[in-house]
Amino acid sequence: MPRTRTWSGRLALTLVLALLVAACGGGGASTTTAGSESTEAPPATEAETPDTTAAPDTTSGGEATGEGFRIGYSNGGGVGNGFREEQVCTAQAEALASGQVTELITIHRNTDAAGQLSDIRDLIAAGVDAIVFNPNDPEALNPALEEAAAAGIVTVSVDAYVTHEGTYNLYNNQVQYAYLGAKWLFEQLGGEGVVYYMRGLAGHPADSDRHIGFQQALEEYPNIEVVPSIDGVHTGWDPATTTQLINDFIASGQYEGIDGIWTSGMDSQVVDAIADAGLDFVPIVGADLGAFVQQLLDEENYPGLVGAAVTNTAAVGGAGVNLALKLLNGETVETAEDASQPNTVLLDPVLADNVSDEGLATLESWLVDGLDPLWPLGLQIEGWTTYTPEQAIACQGPGA
Amino acid sequence: MSAAVTTPARAASGRTASIVSALRRSGWTLSLLGILAVLVAITKAIQPTFGAAGIQGLAISVMPLALASVAQAIAVISRGIDLSVGSMMALTSVVSASLMEDRGEGFAVAVVIGVLVLGLVLGAINGTLIVVTRVPDIVVTLAMLFVWAGCALLVMETPGGASAQWLRGLTLGPLVNEWIPKAAVVMLLVVAIVWIPIRRSRLGLSMYAIGSDPLAAFRSGVSVGRTKILAYALTGLFSAFGGLSLTATTGIATPVPGPYTLMSVAAVVLGGVSLSGGRGGVFGPIVAVVILSLLRTIMTFLNVNTNLATVVQGGILVGVVMVGSLIQLRRKRG
Repeated sequence: MPRTRTWSGRLALTLVLALLVAACGGGGASTTTAGSESTEAPPATEAETPDTTAAPDTTSGGEATGEGFRIGYSNGGGVGNGFREEQVCTAQAEALASGQVTELITIHRNTDAAGQLSDIRDLIAAGVDAIVFNPNDPEALNPALEEAAAAGIVTVSVDAYVTHEGTYNLYNNQVQYAYLGAKWLFEQLGGEGVVYYMRGLAGHPADSDRHIGFQQALEEYPNIEVVPSIDGVHTGWDPATTTQLINDFIASGQYEGIDGIWTSGMDSQVVDAIADAGLDFVPIVGADLGAFVQQLLDEENYPGLVGAAVTNTAAVGGAGVNLALKLLNGETVETAEDASQPNTVLLDPVLADNVSDEGLATLESWLVDGLDPLWPLGLQIEGWTTYTPEQAIACQGPGA
Repeated sequence: MSAAVTTPARAASGRTASIVSALRRSGWTLSLLGILAVLVAITKAIQPTFGAAGIQGLAISVMPLALASVAQAIAVISRGIDLSVGSMMALTSVVSASLMEDRGEGFAVAVVIGVLVLGLVLGAINGTLIVVTRVPDIVVTLAMLFVWAGCALLVMETPGGASAQWLRGLTLGPLVNEWIPKAAVVMLLVVAIVWIPIRRSRLGLSMYAIGSDPLAAFRSGVSVGRTKILAYALTGLFSAFGGLSLTATTGIATPVPGPYTLMSVAAVVLGGVSLSGGRGGVFGPIVAVVILSLLRTIMTFLNVNTNLATVVQGGILVGVVMVGSLIQLRRKRG
């Protein structure tokens, strides 16, 4: 028995030591950065802001609060998904480029609403000045957002809205996204023809909003027929599902009967399937994903491909950090009146096709060297981001 | 004279022995509590403002996983494992949230009771399938993981529903003193009220008996099959409590299961429950969940890369299990 006791004692000691080492190992690294932040942040501001336009308000805001802000960033899903990864990277880049942020605490993991609630509470406990987050649910996070408001923390929801009153929402205008693309496609067909309608993920707010925009365009072009039905087909924003759907569509001979395809961003897969089947292209609408834009510009490998890409920028992460800083500095922000929630900033999409010279030039201008082909291209948003594309690709926040 | 001296001494040594054996039995849990205390101290050192609000947030965030790990612990103690815990939580959560939407507060009481019964039934189905088909627990519950997850999606395609206000109120805010989170009190009460009487009953003994040695238990007159079904039913019941806690803390339900199944296995292992059954309790796993959650909080305060934080969590888990099995080996030799 004495033997056992010494062993359990040793066990406890070992565990405690192991944990201490683990905790301090992380702590050591982070303490040094924290130390260097306080000394290095101000010079970094001077070194990096001259070539950005945000320099004037940086100084005014930065001086008002003395030292910089600490911001928390919570992303509760889509780890490994290009759209979400780019969001986090643009948030890091904006925090760095603004020169006003000493630390961006990032929690980027796949979890459910309950997990994100706990992440946001952790950020509140960490004493940050603002929390920017991509919500897992429009309502579930409200209790934690209320606690944040009570603690005087600015909260900004990006990519989708939350129903909490005091929280600002910033996301892409998805109604407009679908409307722009559909209108271009219907124009392209001369207002008459059959369109295959390939939607996103059933039940997702962005998908529902895009459906509204598509209907609005459809109302203006009564001679357009939508197949398989007015509700379209759902790709689930999944490349494999999309490929399966379009291959089935081609194999069953239905492709011969259509004049155009509208996709909800699962675009390059559709182009590839048509090319593999050796068929002629019909006009296609997609999103500003690298692979699709490359196809639109590649006449050699995709002859006769006519299409348009609509921006659905992932830079909402960076824009969210920018919005949080504007709010922290007491600047007034223009909000959209027609949005479903108050305090909403809507980012309007842009369309570029490979038919007009202007469109081609825009498509060319979107291409960025070194960007993952499955990441969206629109890395910057005028008025909302201050970083360079290189900073976004580097994906480094302040103090890193 | 000498007799008069030795008797109290013997009694004292007997008391000491019983205290020592009690300590030994709960030694693992006590070590965990020690680690927890150290972690709280570290948290406080890193983030001096960490206080009552932080403790409350922690209590709310551990609630679903703590209940899931209690559910898992009961299955593991009875020499089983239930990989469908997360799916049962999702199913019970969506059923409760869809039934409570646009209904009265009183109706929600009936919903809660109904959902708990549903949990018992789901668990009993798992147990019955295992006992009747004699297919290993891990295979049956892996299959049921998909069955219950599919059912959850049939009930609700996308996140939604609602929770009664009184149910939400059970988890939010403090009780009496700002340092005592309501969520923690409710969770501990639920576990204590259900588990302690069962643990002390014939059923509890039988569960530990079939966990230690099913053959010996059978020869001593324990109905192995019946005990197993009841143990799985209890696992289902606590999964239902976990599902209700998800509905209560978020106010909605999500049909896609969260990361609770594997985390519950991790918490059970860290909580000192032997995966070979028959050893451990349910309070160790609860402390383990708090430790795992606090580790994540600490790493958030330190702004450690989230992926690295997961690696560290896993590393600690492996380390603890290795040390634990080493001790068991030593005990057997000693």
